[in-house]
Amino acid sequence: MKKVISIFLLSSLFFCALAQEKRLSLTDMSDFKPQAGNWFVVGDVTINPSIDIHEEHDKIAVEAGKKKKGTSPEIIKPKAVEFTAGTGVLLNMNEETKKDNLLSTFEHGDIELELEVMLPKGSNSGIYLQGRYEVQLLDSWGVKNPSFSDIGGIYRNWENEAGKSYAGKAPLSNPAKAPGLWQTMKISFRAPKFDATGKKIANAKFVSVELNGIKIHENVEVPLPTGGPIENNEKPLGPLMIQGDHGPVAFRNIKYTLKHEALSSISNVTYKIYRGQYKVVSDFIALEPESKGASSELSIEAADSDNDYGIVFNGNVTVPENEKYTFVILNTGGIKMTLNGAILIDFQSDSWQPQVGTVELKAGTYPFEIINYKTASWMPPRLALYIKTPSTYPQTLTAFNSYPPDENPVQSIFIKAGNEPKLLRAFIDFEGDSKRRLTHTIGVGDPSGINYVYDLESGNLACVWHGDFVDATPMWHDRGDGSFRPLGAAQYLFINQPLAFLASANDAFPVMGKEGEFRTKGYVIDATSQLPIFNYTYLGLTVQDKIYPDDNNRSITREVTLKERGSKTGLYFKLAEGNDIIKMNNGMYVVDKKYYIKTSASASVRSVNGKKELVSTVDGNSIKYTIIW
Amino acid sequence: MVSLINNNDQPTLIKDMKKYLVNILILGFILIQANVSGQETRSPKEEDYYKIITVPTPEGVLLEVGGVATLPDGRIAVSTRRGDVWIIENPTMENNSNPRFTLFASGLHESLGLAYRDGALFTAQRGELTKLMDTNGDGKADVYETIYAWPISGHYHEYSFGPKFASDGSFFVTGNVAFGNEEWWRGESRKPWRGWTMKIHQDGTMEPWATGMRSPCGLGIIDGELFYDDNQGDWVGSGGLWHVTKGSFTGHPAGLRWTGEANSPLKVTTEQLYAKVDPRFVRKEGQVVKPENIANEKPTFLYEVKKDIPELKLPAVWLPHGILGISNAEILVDETAGKFGPFAGQVFVGDQGQSKIMRVVLEKVKGEYQGVAFDFKAGFQSGVLRMNWGHDGSLYAGETNRGWGSAGTTNSGLQRLMWTGKTPFEMKTVKAMPDGFEIEFTLPVDLKSAEDLASYVGRSFIYKYHPVYGSPTVNDEKLSIKGVKVSADNLKVRIVIDNIRQYYLHELTSFGIRSKDGNLPLLHPTAYYTLNNIPEGNKLPASELSIKNSKSNPAKAVPAKVTPKTTASTGSKAMTYAEIEPLLKKNTCTACHNQNKRQVGPAFADVSKRKYSDEKILELIYTPQPKNWPEYATPMAAMPQVPRDEALKIAKWINSLRTEVVSNNP
Repeated sequence: MKKVISIFLLSSLFFCALAQEKRLSLTDMSDFKPQAGNWFVVGDVTINPSIDIHEEHDKIAVEAGKKKKGTSPEIIKPKAVEFTAGTGVLLNMNEETKKDNLLSTFEHGDIELELEVMLPKGSNSGIYLQGRYEVQLLDSWGVKNPSFSDIGGIYRNWENEAGKSYAGKAPLSNPAKAPGLWQTMKISFRAPKFDATGKKIANAKFVSVELNGIKIHENVEVPLPTGGPIENNEKPLGPLMIQGDHGPVAFRNIKYTLKHEALSSISNVTYKIYRGQYKVVSDFIALEPESKGASSELSIEAADSDNDYGIVFNGNVTVPENEKYTFVILNTGGIKMTLNGAILIDFQSDSWQPQVGTVELKAGTYPFEIINYKTASWMPPRLALYIKTPSTYPQTLTAFNSYPPDENPVQSIFIKAGNEPKLLRAFIDFEGDSKRRLTHTIGVGDPSGINYVYDLESGNLACVWHGDFVDATPMWHDRGDGSFRPLGAAQYLFINQPLAFLASANDAFPVMGKEGEFRTKGYVIDATSQLPIFNYTYLGLTVQDKIYPDDNNRSITREVTLKERGSKTGLYFKLAEGNDIIKMNNGMYVVDKKYYIKTSASASVRSVNGKKELVSTVDGNSIKYTIIW
Repeated sequence: MVSLINNNDQPTLIKDMKKYLVNILILGFILIQANVSGQETRSPKEEDYYKIITVPTPEGVLLEVGGVATLPDGRIAVSTRRGDVWIIENPTMENNSNPRFTLFASGLHESLGLAYRDGALFTAQRGELTKLMDTNGDGKADVYETIYAWPISGHYHEYSFGPKFASDGSFFVTGNVAFGNEEWWRGESRKPWRGWTMKIHQDGTMEPWATGMRSPCGLGIIDGELFYDDNQGDWVGSGGLWHVTKGSFTGHPAGLRWTGEANSPLKVTTEQLYAKVDPRFVRKEGQVVKPENIANEKPTFLYEVKKDIPELKLPAVWLPHGILGISNAEILVDETAGKFGPFAGQVFVGDQGQSKIMRVVLEKVKGEYQGVAFDFKAGFQSGVLRMNWGHDGSLYAGETNRGWGSAGTTNSGLQRLMWTGKTPFEMKTVKAMPDGFEIEFTLPVDLKSAEDLASYVGRSFIYKYHPVYGSPTVNDEKLSIKGVKVSADNLKVRIVIDNIRQYYLHELTSFGIRSKDGNLPLLHPTAYYTLNNIPEGNKLPASELSIKNSKSNPAKAVPAKVTPKTTASTGSKAMTYAEIEPLLKKNTCTACHNQNKRQVGPAFADVSKRKYSDEKILELIYTPQPKNWPEYATPMAAMPQVPRDEALKIAKWINSLRTEVVSNNP
């Protein structure tokens, strides 16, 4: 239990960081240095995922050549990228003469950067932190074993001299999406550090890089600039640079927070100790303490007991600048913190999660009081106090031994498909939200790297992802909680029973199968593919649901077949849900530019409960569609 | 067992030793009698009669067993908490050849039961009853058919168990309760039929059968009737075995939430129960307060509440917590017709936490099942969750302890328990009589020892019915044994007791009795009889009773038989394990601790290394600090019922272990 708690606490600590971030407006190009004009701001970008930008270039070149010779009047000009006028999206459309890299006007050292990127088929770009350390951008959709040169890779340099060459680093996995879809990237970067003489004392470091919500680097130093830097040197500050000479690329929602080291401190720590089983602060605060003391540091070791204590720390905290300060406490037992006479944190029960209090302070020194008590004998005494501002990393104000690291962290249990598909039933939290936990779900991991979760309670495809199968640690470590997590970037679809008789075409689909109407019959294993074929009955219909990898193992095709359709009308099937569903020129639907639906069924987009749904009537015996993401 | 030492003085070590001498005299009697006979050179041990053999598992196969089924061809199918179903060929290792494992099915959701019928395996997953079939004959399941899916909320504790086949071919499945978010200690039923037994028909319809279940891990069909066992927990004072008739309420209130549903077989409401027993929803300054045992209250008992709520079902047999298990599991009737030894037709109950198997014998008194429970076989490598019979009459124990901890220190596995062919000297059964009990033995008894009242001690006690986690034993009273009568064939002893109490658990111990041949002591000297009903009938006339008591007559006292050797050993400073064992057992310490081996809790020897004072150990017995032992999964429960003098003796003994170590390693 101890282990679970501490992991939970530590990981939560960083999620609750306040983001006082800057967001590039992308209403014009004023956040960037002048460039040749290949970069500009547009309203929206739509990419045809099947057109390779190289083919496009070839065809344009052919066309140009032919035009010169004047032999061919009719050339098809397939367009990979189309855009509308407006603001909010940054687009690069490089040409032979206009292909500048883009430099930010701001310079950064430590930074947390978040953005969305969209690439057409075959395109290539890169994000250079400080103009020197490149995270690669590439259309790497479907790549099985990504290298440093795939999307998310930390690129190599091209030096040969001993000591100057850097081989790059491949991403841990490839969560890349299909061309034309928005992909999210989050980078936490620490600049190299230098001493007073200018000598480097710490390498540049990617604290973490996430692509589409999946960590692809964690705590990786970059000892040298990667290939193609603005200058082949290392400095405390540099501009953000985006590569613009290798193909079209679009960005939106570019946000960043500049960070620096925190320099707060505490002093004059005294403490009072009470012995007893206390349920609330008022149980002991008015009593005479058993002992008192002073300490050079803030540590729960002062309680000198494993349990049944109350302790009151008093002291001063000094903050260096006028800022919004967030105090975070991780502790066992009940906790109350007062700063400058005002209550900042008050949680008088066994604390299972970080307690957070935020306050605006001017530079100066303020008295604090921390009251902690504990009767939960199964947990060790722990107290950690962190301070942070929107621009600083959390700084620990307590002693190491007041909250030492777990000596035996939990081992991961990762499940991978072998030569045959792996099937595993587990709970899954839809979009990671435990309030939307699905309980009758099965994960299917195909050796091809295509994975999905199917909800047997509603006959629904809940999510799909590429890459490795699942992390079963939450289910199988210790007692477990019955759930697993996809190991790749899961594209969650929707929660509904997708096949339903609707009284009117605008009725909502049932959330889950109702007892008496819908009944899962489980699944059979297909002898050839070893994949499951799901069976259920619904109001007299006998339904078979086949889901399999398609399109060179990059997409999922689903065939829902009714044994006997019957004559009852008003049967519908829901294929997708989103805020924005567009039918594209190539006949596919794109949902929030997060995934595509390709179907020969006659589908239409409708609005229900403020959401768009892609729905098809079911008149025949089957419905078939492909999900591309 | 009753304390053999009744020490009211503030004990000094020397006084203690004197008291122990008395104790040792009795134990010494056992040893010496054995020696005198010349046929036995040591106390009989369980393994002389029943041997545990580990089924070797190939590397990479993890058998965290959730279910064991025997196939018609003698192969053993095992389902696991990891969701696999393995079929094991040649588990008995004929031809000196290792068993072969085939993965029959996988991907199940924490399968916690497995049963075979008509070419298919059936298992309860967390959310459904599933039928597994191999239709193409390649030895692997290709059909995973849902027979019935039930709702669950997704709480970790919502395990589901089963199935067992009802006589009409339907399936019994049980479901654990969830726990509160804020009141994390309180079992709650978040979805219909959690905390219930469901009867699922072969056509996929479900009949809610009974509720009151909290953690119903063990199911069994006895005499064609459904039984289940539960563990100590909130509202459950101790583990026990319940007869589950349709519409029963077995005590945990969570499932009562659904008795208003049209298909509920009982109509008792939560409010009706809470009117009788305070559920203790308490807040102090806004914070929820966990109910704890109230030491000097007038407790409520199940049988009292039953008077107002007749659906409330008393356990047919209490399995006293800490003595006969701490987390009762599989229920298995001996159907081997003697292949497994002298207990044909009796019931075995596995225990996860104590990694052992208990034995239960039921009888019907006044139309209700009740009966007796004994220890049977300890020493399994891991928690005994599931059991089934092999075709050779050996018992397969499927094991796991992940997240729960167990006396057996291995995390998981499969073991086979074989009868050696030797009949242990045991109480075969104990039956209730109008004036006491009748013990039947597996072997004829030695008349002299059997007629000696000093051979028997006993007490009776009961558990509270309250929302607190578990119950101390309360209303403890020594049994007043009036006399005994040994049957003509020396196989039965009637024990007439003045103060038997209806509804109470009666603990009967006989250290002194010996077998007629071989002069053996009982392999397990204690029986626990749950006396829900006292049978009608004639009481034995006093004239037929033997009232001989060697203890009350010093001239006949045992000390004469104590050899100098034995005396010498008691005279040495450190108590031996044999000396302290009765106290450890009586106070259920041995449920979780071993002298030298890590079990559910640390070894006594390891405790001794902490160099606690005797007083500190005493304090830790009353108020344990599980934090001191973070590497142990199961926190020790407070043991306020251990008498202070006994706790101190135990503490002294624990600390003597350290001294021994030091003296042996100068």
